[in-house]
Amino acid sequence: MAFVAACGRFGLFLAAFVNASWRRPPPPGQVLNEAYRIGVRSLPVLVIIAVFVGTNLALQGYKAFAPLGGQRLVGMFVATAGIREMAPVIAAAMIAAKAGTEMASQIAVMRIREQIDALEVMAVDPLWYLILPRLLGIMLVLPALTIVAIFVTLASSYLVTIWQLNLSGAVFVEFAREAISGIDFIYCMIKGLAFGIIIALVSCFFGFNAGNGPEGVGRATNGAVVTVSVVVVFLNYLLSEVFYG
Amino acid sequence: MDTLQLLGRIGIFGARVLRAAVTGQVPLRSFLALLNQVIQRCMLPVMAVVFPFGMVLSLQGLQIFALYGSQRLLSPFVAAAIIRELSPVMASTLVAAQGGSSFAAELGAMRIKDELDATDVMGVDSIAFHAAPRVLALTLACPVLNLMGCVSGIVGGYVSAVLIKGEPGGIFLSELWNLTGPADVWGTLIKTTVFGVVIGLLSCYLGYHTTGGAAGVGRAVNHTVVYSILAFIAANYLLTSAFFGGAV
Repeated sequence: MAFVAACGRFGLFLAAFVNASWRRPPPPGQVLNEAYRIGVRSLPVLVIIAVFVGTNLALQGYKAFAPLGGQRLVGMFVATAGIREMAPVIAAAMIAAKAGTEMASQIAVMRIREQIDALEVMAVDPLWYLILPRLLGIMLVLPALTIVAIFVTLASSYLVTIWQLNLSGAVFVEFAREAISGIDFIYCMIKGLAFGIIIALVSCFFGFNAGNGPEGVGRATNGAVVTVSVVVVFLNYLLSEVFYG
Repeated sequence: MDTLQLLGRIGIFGARVLRAAVTGQVPLRSFLALLNQVIQRCMLPVMAVVFPFGMVLSLQGLQIFALYGSQRLLSPFVAAAIIRELSPVMASTLVAAQGGSSFAAELGAMRIKDELDATDVMGVDSIAFHAAPRVLALTLACPVLNLMGCVSGIVGGYVSAVLIKGEPGGIFLSELWNLTGPADVWGTLIKTTVFGVVIGLLSCYLGYHTTGGAAGVGRAVNHTVVYSILAFIAANYLLTSAFFGGAV
């Protein structure tokens, strides 16, 4: 019941946001600022995570295929699993964990300090002023970050394959090339765009509806990251089914 | 240098938690209540995230295996990938995002409202009384939630392969355990226990040392999620190499 009510509130929130923003340009200078904050400052975290996802993909692919004599398939496994599924989801999950929680807690703090009410008093629409730059900023950077995650994942699993597993690098590259094509990158960027929209809107929604006091900020931040992860993974399945099913 | 100091402080914090646990200062009742709370809160998110991952795994795996006409290899592959890697990582991510961050928020709010100082003033060790039960609850909850994640992921694989793509269900089930053995179950349990310790220590340390009002609570939650995911993903590579990667 509470879930249905929350969905309804989200719908109303979305309608109000679209109504406030669809024919106005974003506040000047803010979009690039947000893009920098979301994109560049999340980059180190994302790269570290992508490195370890790549190493583990290679290890697990080897472990799964070696009993069948299919060590050569490691490249294909890494390319398919890493590029099509893991990289977009990992990029989205890390941006949700870093930038999404930041959005939720910033807006929640503004809410409990009544800064959002102050914006309204100054005749500035808070939905337009606070959400639109964040939404556009994340839409700008998340597809790019997805591509970065893909290359880092591939590179680290390549290094594990040749150094730790002692397999041939040339075979890895050959099978990886066979498994993917240019269109996969387009699909990944579409996924990144969709995940970015979800992250920005859901995180801001939780921030705007924060309860009172420090607990309210904590709960809003917490709710935002969990909801975003669940929705992103489900959406990933739907998009994969559409693209590859 | 900063990172090194932070690591040292977390180490001391962990030692105090451990001492409280060994000397029996941790209140059992609140430990059980927190364990119950964290498992209840994380159960649905964990299952809701690992389930679609199982479905995606079947979807993509089927395409690779269909190339070689060996669709019967799909189900052992799904079970192995879920149990060894995906469920531990995804379940722990959600435990960090849901359980760890809510504990950080609770402790942070207690710090901001001076409740932790009040506990200390009354002669009760606030680490033993407030932080230690939370660390232990996360440590124990992580493997339990991981097992739930494993089950829901394999069910997700079954739904995608058998119910949606129409592969024969009997073959899926009879081949399921061909690649996985007891060693894998031990591996996944040990892994997630380690991840639980990492998440518990980081989240409770960051929450316990919150500064700077309501904004500080938000920052503590944010750092909890980011740092604990970074830490256990790095630990995961080492543990995977130790358990499963004997190829060198």
